[in-house]
Amino acid sequence: MAGASGAWARLWRRLRPPRRLRFTREGNWFVFLALAIGLAAINTGNNLLYLLLAWLLSFILASGVLSELTMRGLRVTRRPAPEVWAGQPFLMEIAVENGKAGLASFSIEIEDLIDGRPLDKKCYFLKIPPGKTQRTSYRHTFSRRGRYRFDGFRIATRFPFTLFRKSRDTDDGSEVIVYPRLTAVPRLPPRPRHLGSGQSDRLGRRGEFFGLREWKDGDDRRAIHWRSTARAGRLLVREVHDEIERRVTIVVDNALPAAVVRALDAGERLREDGPTLDALERAVSLAASHAAAYLDGGWGVAVVGRGLTVPLGRGKAHLARILRELAVLPATTEAVALGAADAVGDRVLIVPAGVAAAGRPTADHVLEA
Amino acid sequence: MRFAATHKTTSYLAVAFAFLAMVGGGTVSPLLVLGGAVGLALSWFIEPPRWNLDRFAWVFTVVAALGLIYSGLLAVSTGDYLGHGGGFLIILTVARASTRRAARDWQQLYLLAFLMLVAGSVLNGELGYAVCFFGFVITGTWALILFHLRREMEDNFLLRHADPRASQRVEIRRILESRRIVDRRFLLGTGLTSVGFFVVAVIFFLSIPRVGTGFFFRGKGGTHMVGFSDGVKLGGHGRLKNDSTVVMRATLSAREFHGRRAPYVYWRGAVFDHYKRGQWNRSPSSPSTISWPERLPGNRERRYLPLPGVNLAGEGALAYARANAVLQDVWLDPIGADVLFAASTPLAYEFALPSNERRPLEKNDEIRVRHDGPLHYRAWSILEPPPPDALAATYSAPPGAPPDGDPYRQLPSEITAATRAKAEEIVAGATSDYAKAVRLRDWLQTNLSYTLDLRDPDGREPIDFFLFERRAGHCEYFASAFAIMGRVVGLRTRSVNGFLGGEWNEYDGYIAVRAGDAHSWTEVYFEGHGWVTFDATPPGEADRLGRGSGAWTAKLRRWFDTLRFQWNKWVIDYDLTQQLSLFRSIGKKLSGGGRAVSGAGKAVTRFAKRWGALLGALAVLGALGWYWRRTRGRRRAAAPTRADRERSELARLYEKAARRLAQRPAAVTPRELARQLAERGAAGAAQLEELTEIYYAGQWGGAVGDDALARARVLAADIDAAARAARR
Repeated sequence: MAGASGAWARLWRRLRPPRRLRFTREGNWFVFLALAIGLAAINTGNNLLYLLLAWLLSFILASGVLSELTMRGLRVTRRPAPEVWAGQPFLMEIAVENGKAGLASFSIEIEDLIDGRPLDKKCYFLKIPPGKTQRTSYRHTFSRRGRYRFDGFRIATRFPFTLFRKSRDTDDGSEVIVYPRLTAVPRLPPRPRHLGSGQSDRLGRRGEFFGLREWKDGDDRRAIHWRSTARAGRLLVREVHDEIERRVTIVVDNALPAAVVRALDAGERLREDGPTLDALERAVSLAASHAAAYLDGGWGVAVVGRGLTVPLGRGKAHLARILRELAVLPATTEAVALGAADAVGDRVLIVPAGVAAAGRPTADHVLEA
Repeated sequence: MRFAATHKTTSYLAVAFAFLAMVGGGTVSPLLVLGGAVGLALSWFIEPPRWNLDRFAWVFTVVAALGLIYSGLLAVSTGDYLGHGGGFLIILTVARASTRRAARDWQQLYLLAFLMLVAGSVLNGELGYAVCFFGFVITGTWALILFHLRREMEDNFLLRHADPRASQRVEIRRILESRRIVDRRFLLGTGLTSVGFFVVAVIFFLSIPRVGTGFFFRGKGGTHMVGFSDGVKLGGHGRLKNDSTVVMRATLSAREFHGRRAPYVYWRGAVFDHYKRGQWNRSPSSPSTISWPERLPGNRERRYLPLPGVNLAGEGALAYARANAVLQDVWLDPIGADVLFAASTPLAYEFALPSNERRPLEKNDEIRVRHDGPLHYRAWSILEPPPPDALAATYSAPPGAPPDGDPYRQLPSEITAATRAKAEEIVAGATSDYAKAVRLRDWLQTNLSYTLDLRDPDGREPIDFFLFERRAGHCEYFASAFAIMGRVVGLRTRSVNGFLGGEWNEYDGYIAVRAGDAHSWTEVYFEGHGWVTFDATPPGEADRLGRGSGAWTAKLRRWFDTLRFQWNKWVIDYDLTQQLSLFRSIGKKLSGGGRAVSGAGKAVTRFAKRWGALLGALAVLGALGWYWRRTRGRRRAAAPTRADRERSELARLYEKAARRLAQRPAAVTPRELARQLAERGAAGAAQLEELTEIYYAGQWGGAVGDDALARARVLAADIDAAARAARR
């Protein structure tokens, strides 16, 4: 069945109009000129004017054929930056391989397509020799977090005479997760019971020994207890007392009014949804910023939201996980319950400004974004 | 090869070809042509960085204005709008070439070159135009491709994406000097491609329906020949005898007239009936040409002339002509006269009717068509003279009929008694009018000699001077003497001016008639047979140019003449008739090929008969399904959500507002443009920056709302107002 559907897809790709043609300004003038010469030829019967008209028409044909030749046999690939942040520019590398055996491609423009629409930035390749690959990159900034799906590429050219812009779309789907925007946030004071403990905020092995636990991704390798590890046959790390105490759960409430959520799901936009949606975005951004700050301080961080639970963890890998989850955290209604918060550590509740929702837990800090 | 140098070279070549195509016709002032050539050559060296062209930008404007005034005044005063328009184009081209800086200047140079080519299509219809046109096609294609690359480079190169700051352009000069962009292979490939598309252009040219209503062509006017208009004075043709300029080319359907040893053909043209004081004219009393016109498709006309003994009216006329006459396709260059030439005794002519032209006065079985350029027409003629026995059995003028009122027996009073007596003496004892004519012809051929060394008769009657004192002359004297002496002895005669023979072109199978082939002879009327040719000029003397030699120079000349002929035949004179004929012959060839595969076709037909209905139904269903799926997909895709509509409006607002302030190059993003304008302190830049951010938020952040849209509208209006104020 997969084979059959693949064949249908291939057939469908072949049947759909493969090229788009758009007149350039020069092309419009050229056609106007051809019409004028044609009228003059008909009016006067001067065969040399007919000859010029024929040449102009063949020029249009030549433009079509040469642009087709230059666009054929191109394979485009992209390589996004490892991390993409909302509001921050990133570089996307575009590579174009000319698969033709003996024909160079000239004047090629590549545009990335998202939801069928090209990005505002084009990559231009003056000449791609046969059998060679050329690379360039474009800079772009996503305003909002989320999962962005690149559908493919638009390969275009105005070669050879700038009369038309010919383009074709190719399928090459891939995704980019855009992390929430990170902002500088002040360190929140810990719970009162921790005051005066004199423990360092730095990640490390200092502090009173508490016990052993299994190694988790992101743990400091220096904390590995090698003797116990050898005995147990798996990696074990020392857990010190201040690590137990330096835990925080960041609760981000992603509930919005039901009408707004329904409208968002339907793709419509309500008059009042802008402020609430922006508030949610700010809340998510604040949660990500605090998570990064806590993790940087050596704290264990868990993040919960409605439909979201990221268990306690530490280190850069854990931060990446939190950012990924927050990047795609959708707006939901208060009907969806918040995930369970860690009972031991601190608790920071972040809510969108102006949005009331039921089921919010108590917290050491309540921040409104 | 360096990119910039290659681009410059090809561009200059294209301009040079267009320049030559226009001035090759010789109608533009030689001073301007020389000045233009020198100016273009000098402009090669005038370019940055050697010259700071910013200081000379005004030159173009001043020169253009002066050129316009100069050309305008000359055109109005002389009435030669085309010639002086061409001169103005030269001035503009030199000025633009000398002040070229950026891509736009090159673009204007190409446009001017093309306009020169257009002007050349009117001012120059010679073969040289074809050569220049072909050169322009090749070099113009190179130049335009390289120009495209150059402009794309200037627009796009190079953006440092890795730089955290705004993208910056790097020095374009380095890329323009690159040797890696174009090489010989590139030029060869694009050159061959342009040749291919030249062939396509030729196919287009042949295929575009010829529905033109007139002919607008201003060539050099061709060779101006005397002797073919309303009158001719004795002595005109002699001066042309050594002129080998080809004035007419003709193909004949009869193979016995092909080759260098074939019989000579008398190309009959102007016919005169009235002689007085050494001058032949068409008298007012001479009969107008009687012909039966037949309208043909493509604004063409076929006219049948009467032939005694043959009823040529009606449908049988062409059939008779086809069966008995020799078909001639004639390409006549402009020779300053409107008469059409055809071999010996013409039966019919076919030609394109000129538009809005009064028909010229036609007498003595002449057919005349006004034409300023080359003219192609067809003619059918009887080349074989009637048998002598039949002519001997009839008479020229009815016996006993007085000559009064018969224009072909008119004799001026100044014809001397000696001439009259000599005529009577020659024909004494002749038993028929035909015998009289033969005797007169033979006497003239044997007793007088041919010469081009003419002398002034010093007041004597020219024929008398020729017969009794000089006793030598050229064809006009022989023909005139024959005609007048014939009239003295009762024959109905008229003088004919035309061409004799011509050079056989072995490459293309046509007769090239030269100006030096001009000839005069006489026609004698015989009841029941019409007008019969009598040439009293001594044979072998009239044809000084001969049928063409076998020397390599003559062969080379004929080969070039073939090219010119083909150019005139297939380009300059190509018309609806030729087009129809061409496609008919292609159709025949295709149908011939079709018969070869008809066996396979029959099998397909049998299969189609059995399964055709089912396959057809399936095909229709499949097509409908495909169409439904496509349109459904489009409908789905096309149904915009409110967010889409808002995004579209936002994009429209942004594009319109941005355009009011600056043209955004392809490689510059909206944000970069806004920043550039702000750095320049342009009016409305601050509003554009804000609008750009709203645009970005809408396009990529999904944040469009009524407030954002309302704000965008306000900003767009502010930008519009700022742009207006700045322009004021």
